Amino acid sequence: MTDASAFGWRGAWRIARRDLSARFKGLRLLLVCLLLGTAALTAIGTLTAGIQGELTSRGQVILGGDLQVSVWQRPLSQEELRALANNGWVSQGTRLQAMARHGDLAVPIQLKAVDAAYPLYGALTLKDGRSVRNPPLNQAWLSQDAADRLALKSGQSFAIGSKTLTVGGIIANEPDKLGEGFQFGPTIIVDARFPQAAGLIAPGSMYRTKVRLAINTGQSPENVGSAFQREFPNQGFEVRTRDNASPGADRFIARMGDFLTLVGLAALVIAGIGIGGGVTSYLDARRQNIATLKILGATSTDIARIYALEIALAAVAGSVVGILIGLAITPLLAKAIAGLLPVESGLVFSLPAVLLAFAYGVLVALIFAAPPLLRARHVPAMALMRARIAPLARDRLALAVVGGGLLALCGLALATSQNWQLTGGFLLGVAGMLGLLALVGWAVKRTAASLPRPRNPVARTALANLHRPGSATGALVTALGFGLAAFVLLTGVQSAIEGTIAKRIPQQAPDYFVLDVPRGQAQGFGDLVRTIDPKADLRTVPMLRGAVLAFGPPGQMTQVADMTSIPEDAWALRGERGLTFSDTVPPGNAVSAGKWWKPGHTGPPEVSVDEDFAKAVGLKLGDDVTFGVLGVEKTARVTSFRRVDWQSLGFNFVFVLSPDVLKDAPYNLAATISLHDDAARGPLLRALVKQFPSSSVIEVGDVLVQARNLLGQVGLATLVAAGVTVLAGIAVLLGAIAAARSQRSYDTVILRVLGANRWQVLAMALAEYAALVLVLGAVALALGSLGAWLVVVKLFELDWLPDWGVVLATLGGGLLAVLAFAVLGSLPLLRVRPAQALRTL
Amino acid sequence: MTSPSPVISASSLTLTLGTAAAPVPILKGIDLAVMPGETLALLGPSGSGKSSLMAVLTGLERASGGSLTIAGENFTTLDEDALARARRGRIGIVLQAFHLLPTMTALENVATPLELAGAADARERAKTELDAVGLGHRLDHYPQQLSGGEQQRVAIARAIAPRPPLICADEPTGNLDAATGQAIVDMLFARRAQTQATLVVITHDPELAARCGRVITLADGMIASDTRD
Repeated sequence: MTDASAFGWRGAWRIARRDLSARFKGLRLLLVCLLLGTAALTAIGTLTAGIQGELTSRGQVILGGDLQVSVWQRPLSQEELRALANNGWVSQGTRLQAMARHGDLAVPIQLKAVDAAYPLYGALTLKDGRSVRNPPLNQAWLSQDAADRLALKSGQSFAIGSKTLTVGGIIANEPDKLGEGFQFGPTIIVDARFPQAAGLIAPGSMYRTKVRLAINTGQSPENVGSAFQREFPNQGFEVRTRDNASPGADRFIARMGDFLTLVGLAALVIAGIGIGGGVTSYLDARRQNIATLKILGATSTDIARIYALEIALAAVAGSVVGILIGLAITPLLAKAIAGLLPVESGLVFSLPAVLLAFAYGVLVALIFAAPPLLRARHVPAMALMRARIAPLARDRLALAVVGGGLLALCGLALATSQNWQLTGGFLLGVAGMLGLLALVGWAVKRTAASLPRPRNPVARTALANLHRPGSATGALVTALGFGLAAFVLLTGVQSAIEGTIAKRIPQQAPDYFVLDVPRGQAQGFGDLVRTIDPKADLRTVPMLRGAVLAFGPPGQMTQVADMTSIPEDAWALRGERGLTFSDTVPPGNAVSAGKWWKPGHTGPPEVSVDEDFAKAVGLKLGDDVTFGVLGVEKTARVTSFRRVDWQSLGFNFVFVLSPDVLKDAPYNLAATISLHDDAARGPLLRALVKQFPSSSVIEVGDVLVQARNLLGQVGLATLVAAGVTVLAGIAVLLGAIAAARSQRSYDTVILRVLGANRWQVLAMALAEYAALVLVLGAVALALGSLGAWLVVVKLFELDWLPDWGVVLATLGGGLLAVLAFAVLGSLPLLRVRPAQALRTL
Repeated sequence: MTSPSPVISASSLTLTLGTAAAPVPILKGIDLAVMPGETLALLGPSGSGKSSLMAVLTGLERASGGSLTIAGENFTTLDEDALARARRGRIGIVLQAFHLLPTMTALENVATPLELAGAADARERAKTELDAVGLGHRLDHYPQQLSGGEQQRVAIARAIAPRPPLICADEPTGNLDAATGQAIVDMLFARRAQTQATLVVITHDPELAARCGRVITLADGMIASDTRD
C-alpha cells in the first residue's frame, strides 16, 4: 500500500540528507561566500552594539552622575543648586581652557575644577595607586600628556593664571573622561575654588559650570531634569542624563555602525553572486541525479524541495560558522579602531546583531540561489537519454522570489538602520553601481566577441574565453569591479581629505585661537602680538555663549525645548553656541539673501543666519530668533542669510547679531593669530601667558593632528570592511574558475594534443586573466574615482586633491591579488595528462 | 469472463522533435497493444526510434500525437509532473548506464522509488528486493564500490521493488561483458517471472531478443515487423 502524498517535505529531507555530502562537497563556494559576508556583518554589528551597550551601561560613570546640568559663563544660583540638591548629592565644578607654564614651557590645557564630592560615580585614580577626589587648593592632578608636555614630575611646581601649583599626582583613570567630550589640550584637575583664586574667572570669561547629581529619591533622571528645566526655563541649561551621557560618541558610533554594516551588506551581495554561481554549478553537476529521480517518479516540486533543503542546510551552516568567526574577530576589529573610542568593547555578544547577520545571510542566499534552484525543476527525465540537452528556460517564479527577497533585504536594512536616508542612499548607490557593472561586463563580452581573431592560438583562445557561451566574465566584472571600485573610492576620499588638510588648511588656518582676551585690553593684546611678529595677521571678535530658545515667524515660533528631534544640519540648536556681533559682514562670509544692517545700527535687533542652518529648520527672512544669553532672553529679526566657508578655520558663527543686541552683555574677545614668522611661536606663547594669564590659547596644529588620527582610523575601519568585498569577489573568481574547470580541461587536452606545451597553456590563462584585470582596473578606477569625487566635492564640499600614487598603489595591489589567485586557480590545468584525460572525455 | 486489458495500448503514436521551423519526425504512427505478463523485445538499427518509443511508453517524453494508455492511465493528456506521478508503482525502468544515484547506498537507491510513492516500509522492501538479486551483503555500499554487474542488479532491484505491472529495460547488458550480461539477463527474466510483470526490452542482441515471447522490429519510426513465438 503506497501513499504518494506522504512524500512531502519529510521524504524530500530524507533524500536531501543522503545526497548532501557531510563535507558539503560542491557547495563550498556558497559556504565560503556566506561565511565571509556574515562574519563581516556579525563583527561590525557586535562591535557597534558592544560599544553602545557600554556607553549605556556605564552612563552613570561616563556622565559622572545620574544627571548633569551645565551652563556657560556663570555659576548656578543658590536657588538652582537647592532645587538639584533636594534630589540627592551634588558635585559642582567648572571647565575652561587655560595656559599652564613651567619654566620656558607654556602649554594650552583643559582645566577641570572639581569639588570634594567628585567623582559621584567611579573612581579617580592616580598612577601611584591612590584613589582620590579633588586635590588640595595648591595642588593639581595632571594627565600623563600634560605632565609630558610641561616636563613635570610629581612634587614639582608650575603655574596657571596667577597661581603656582604643585603636581600632586599623575592621573591613571579619569572616570568621566568620555562624557567631557572633545578637548583642546590635555587635562589638569584642580580644586573647584582654584579658577577664581587664580583670576581665571571674570564676567564674560569663557568657562562652563557643570553640576552633577547622584539621585537618592528614587526619581528618574529624566523627571528630575524636566522638573528642573520647567522651574528654571530659558536659562540656557544643557541637561544630560546617564542614558545620554555622551550624545556625540553615541551619534558617531551609530553612524559608523550603520555605514560599516552597509559596507558589510555590500560584501554579502557580492558574495551572493558567488552563491548564485556555486548553486548553478552544484545543480548542473546533479542534472543526472535529478533526471534519475524524475525517472523514479519525483515531481518538479519534489526536486525543488530536495535541493532547497540541501542549499538551505549549507546556507545555515555557512551563516552559523560566519557568525562564530565574526564573534571571534570582533576584538581584532575593536583594536583597529581603538583610538576612536575611549571605551573598551572586549568580547561581547549581541543577539540582535547576530540575528541580523543571520537574516541577511539567509536572505542573500535565497535571492541568489532561487533562480538556479527553480530552473533545476525543469531538468527533463530525458536528460539521461540524450547526450546534450537544450539550456533550461528561465523560471518566472524566480523573478517573484528574487524581487520579494530584495524587498525584504532593503526593508530590513532600512528598518534596522538609525539613519534611513544614509541607508536608502547607499542601497540606491549600490544598486546603481551593480547595474552599471553588469552593463560593463556585458559590453566587455560583446567587445571581445567583435574584436578580430588573433593569429596566435594562445591569444585567440584567451580572447574567446572572455566571451564564450557560459563565460563568467559578466559575473566577475560585477563582483570584482565592485570591491576594487570601493578600494579606489575609499582611498580617493581619504587621500583627498588628507590633501585638503595638508595643502589648503595650513595656508588659511591661523596658528592660534585665543579665548578670553579682556575686551578692555584689545589694544594691548594687538600691540603685544605685533611686537613679537610685526607681520602677524590678527583678528578679534566679541564672543559669548547663548542658546537658541525659539525660532520662526513672529507669533508662531517653534520652541526648541518642544522639538522631539533636531535635524542633522541644525546642530546649532543643541545646547549653547558661540554668538558674536558685528557692524560688517565677517571675512570669509558672503550675504546670500536679505540685507546687512548699516554700521552703527540702533534699530530693532537684527540677526544674520548661516544659510545651511536656515534651510535645515525652514527659517525665512523676517522670522524671529530668540536667544538665551546668561539667563536673559534676546529676540532678533532675521534680516539676512550668509554663506559661511567653514573650512577657513577662522572664527565662524551660525548667528551674527547687530551690535546693539549684545553690547551690554558681559563678553570677552576671541582672537585668531596667523604668524608670519614661525620662530615667533615660543616667545609669543610665553609673552601671552605672562601678560594675559586669564586668556587661553588653542594650537591649531594639535587639533589637526587629532582630526587626522580620527580620519585615519575611520578610513582603516572602512578599508577593512571594504576588504571583505574584495575577498568575496576573489571567492566568486575562484568559484568561476572551478565551475569552468571541466570545460577548460577539455580545451587544455585538445591544445596539448595539437602540440601546445604546458607553458603555453599557462600563458593562455595568464593572457585571459590579464585582459580581465586590465578591464577591471579601468572600470574600478573610473567608477571609484567618480564616487570619490562625488563624496569629496559634492558631499563634503572639499577640494578634489586625491593622492593618485596611493590610489593607484591600492588598486594595483588589489589587481595583483586577483591575478595571483586566478593563475594559482588555473595551475591544476597544467597537471592534466592528455592520454588519461582523452579516455574519459 | 472478460479478457484482461492491455498494459500498453498505443494508437497512431507519433513523436516529433526539433523546432517548428525544422521538425524532425521520430515516431510516425505506432499502433501497439501489449498484454499483462508478455515479454517484448524492440529491435532495430540505430536511429530507428527504439529508445524514443521507450521514452514515450515510460512517460519520459510526451507523445506529439495519437493516444497512449499505460496500466489503465491515459498518458496522452498528462504534463511532466503528472507523468512522474503516474510512473510511481506503475513502471520500472532499467537503463544501459545503470544511473544509480552516486550519493546513495544500494539500499537507499532501491528504497527511493518506494519512498517517492509514499511507502512506509520502503527500506524493508528494498532490502528484500536486494536479497532477491543476491546483493543482501552489499546493502550499505555506494555505487562506486560496486562492479558493473552489481550496479545493474541494484538497478533491476530498484525497478522491480515497487512491483510495477510494466518493466522497461534499455540495452540492459550494453555496458557489461558477455558473461556478466548473461547473468543479468537471467536474473531480469527470473524476477519478471516471479512478479508476473510485463517486460519491454530494447536490444541489439538477437539472443536476448530470442528469450522474449514477442519481437517488434522498428525501422524509420514505424513498426516493420511484429512476431510472436
